[in-house]
Amino acid sequence: MLKYLVGRLAGILPVLLVISVFVFGFVHLLPGDPARLVAGPDATQQDVELVRQDLGLDQPLWVQYGRFLGNAVQGEFGRSMKSKRPVSQEIGERFLPTLYLTIVAMVWATLAGLLIGVASATKRGRWQDHVGMVVAVSGIAFPSFWLGLLMIDLFSVKLGWLPTSGYGTWQHYVMPSLTLGLGVAAVMARFTRSAFIEIAREDYVRTARAKGVPARLVVWKHTLRNALIPIITMVGLQFGFLLGGSIVVETVFSWPGLGRLLVDSVNYRDYTVIQAEILLFSLEFIIINLLVDVLYAFANPEIRYS
Amino acid sequence: MNRFALPLLAGLLAGTALAGPAFAAKDLVVGLPDNITTLDPADINDTLSQSASRTMLQGLFGFDKDMKLVPLLAESFTVNDTATEYTYRLRKNVTFHDGTPFNAQAVKTNFDRLANPANRLKRQSLLAMLAETVVVDDYTITLKLAQPFGALNNNLAHPGAMIHSPKALETFGKEIGRHPVGTGPYKFVSWEADTLKVEKNDKYWKPGLPKIDHVTLKSVPENGSRIAMLQTNEAQFIYPLPPEMVKMVEANNQLELIDAPSIIARYVAMNTMKKPFNDPRVRQALNYAIDKNAYAKVVYRGYAGPLDSAIPSKLGFHVAQPNQYTYDLAKAKALLAEAGYPNGFEAEMFGRNSTNFIRGMQFVQQQLSQIGVKLTVTPLESGVETARVWGVEKPEDATVQMQYGGWSASTGDADWGLRPLLWGKGFPPKFFNVAYYKNDTVDAAIETGIGTADTAKRAEAYRVAQEQIWKDAPWIFLGVENLLAGKSKKLTGFYYVADGGLQMEEADLQ
Repeated sequence: MLKYLVGRLAGILPVLLVISVFVFGFVHLLPGDPARLVAGPDATQQDVELVRQDLGLDQPLWVQYGRFLGNAVQGEFGRSMKSKRPVSQEIGERFLPTLYLTIVAMVWATLAGLLIGVASATKRGRWQDHVGMVVAVSGIAFPSFWLGLLMIDLFSVKLGWLPTSGYGTWQHYVMPSLTLGLGVAAVMARFTRSAFIEIAREDYVRTARAKGVPARLVVWKHTLRNALIPIITMVGLQFGFLLGGSIVVETVFSWPGLGRLLVDSVNYRDYTVIQAEILLFSLEFIIINLLVDVLYAFANPEIRYS
Repeated sequence: MNRFALPLLAGLLAGTALAGPAFAAKDLVVGLPDNITTLDPADINDTLSQSASRTMLQGLFGFDKDMKLVPLLAESFTVNDTATEYTYRLRKNVTFHDGTPFNAQAVKTNFDRLANPANRLKRQSLLAMLAETVVVDDYTITLKLAQPFGALNNNLAHPGAMIHSPKALETFGKEIGRHPVGTGPYKFVSWEADTLKVEKNDKYWKPGLPKIDHVTLKSVPENGSRIAMLQTNEAQFIYPLPPEMVKMVEANNQLELIDAPSIIARYVAMNTMKKPFNDPRVRQALNYAIDKNAYAKVVYRGYAGPLDSAIPSKLGFHVAQPNQYTYDLAKAKALLAEAGYPNGFEAEMFGRNSTNFIRGMQFVQQQLSQIGVKLTVTPLESGVETARVWGVEKPEDATVQMQYGGWSASTGDADWGLRPLLWGKGFPPKFFNVAYYKNDTVDAAIETGIGTADTAKRAEAYRVAQEQIWKDAPWIFLGVENLLAGKSKKLTGFYYVADGGLQMEEADLQ
């Protein structure tokens, strides 16, 4: 297992290298001139040229890439073109708010999704199943900006229970995490239901039932445990997506996270920030995938890595 | 719902009970549409960050709430006849927030820094004409210019020319934008992600001010969330207010609507070097073909006024033109026929891709179709627009036929409303004359206007320029948008100035 982990971790490097080439290429393919945007709307062409030299944008692309890669290896992503602060600071200050919100949303969404999914699967075709699936489909169908604004109107403006937006106390988490988690809970519920129904058809479940194992034990131990593999995969995927920062939820609730930073930096052609953010997202995905693989082994001891 | 809501409510009640006594301090929260970029005004090109810096920093001059030039850290000035040498008497007994005294040396340090191109500051152009700064004594400074510049005081009133503590400049160097230290009514506390906090400067040089203890400027990009903050009194001032949300403010008796003319001109520039726009009759026809009242209603829900000259009425030296292009389709068609286009023509119009710009362009498109002019509307993303419109090296290479745009002359003076846009020597990429408009009378007037500090001579020069431009119609003059904001009725002395900036020096909460 340890050997496997070391191998996998070493494998991250070449993947990141390939990603860095793509990221760098795509970012520089974006139409628009960052030097002009940085210099401002009423800067003269001379000012723009000065800015271009300042940012190193007058160099050939491969020189720029070399510089980017050399610095990135040392964990140095340069300075934001917009704020002139180190990119690491810029991202660092946005990372935790996104991480916390993601964790809160994932925890309630996974639990709720599992419960609804299992309930629907065990009561398949009955009213519990129908209610559960209506909730799940609505969760996928509701646009989050609409739901977010509706909640603000109800809980903040009409009832005055929760702050409209911002980041700080636990009250600030309630509406953003509900909005963010709803889609995930819905996907989880549907996924759990189908995985569960499939496993419930297996021979060993029937055997367990036949030999008189209590129904509750059959559901939670024999069936769910085996249904966990696809569910863990799904949790990993969703977690990775949310860690990228939800642009919509962060905007509606003025959450100071990575999603808003990314939109701002794309609008501003803040190359250095975009590159670092996308690399970070890729790294997060790779690490989550690795964790998911390790979790498989816990869920099913028959899975061995060597 | 109930089981979930009860503990929540209990927690909240406990919270408010504890928070009760803290309300004795006067805390103001302002909801902004975007993030602040930096707090070094010399390096800022967005109005929002300028407003934020203006809470802490000040210049020799400033604008009052009506965009009138007022002295701040300067007490008086003298200027020679050719507008090349200005001498300023500075205010005494003013200190920066870090205790450094404000004096002529501090001004010199700041102006030399801004004027030096090697520092790569975005507002360098404000003092690009500066040849030398001479400290005469502790409270007198002389600015010698390389060429005549009659609007210098206006440039010094621009936020870009505000004065940092020289000690802070030395200590923080390039990081000065995160550590602003000025002479203004509020002192810097913190700036994290999307929130700036400043607090009362107890030693402020204006007696009795400021009255607010803490001010928080918070970026809330979503319009709906921003107005919700105002409705719940989490914020006492929010801007901008989208026209469609005006009713929500009006319906609430705790809130007050701010609706005032801005200095943002809206117009369509026509490339006067290209057919068919090289014929002034065509350009005039297009002006007659647009119902400006309908424009204000459709694009700004009525929250816009007329653009009755080449510059908005709130700019210095504005002269309303007597012969307005009043909506008249018959006249428009006649002019087009006279110019040889009885059945109209086809053209392409560029503009930014924001909702509001697209709506404006579609309106113009619809109006011009009435006289047979078929427009293709091409919305451009800002980076693309920059490359395609502003970055073009030679006039012959310009692909722009029509450009839907706007301009806000941030110095509050006619010079910056005309010279960058309509001066024959200001074609892209040097400046922004997208109409590629060149008229000798106008060029001479613009140059006279900037070549003297004599107010009467400048007024005459800009009168001549505006009259000629109006006749030549290099633009379709559409309108001047209003500034819309919402504020709590408890908030007084807080101003949303015509240049889109905020002034909170006199702010108070009742």
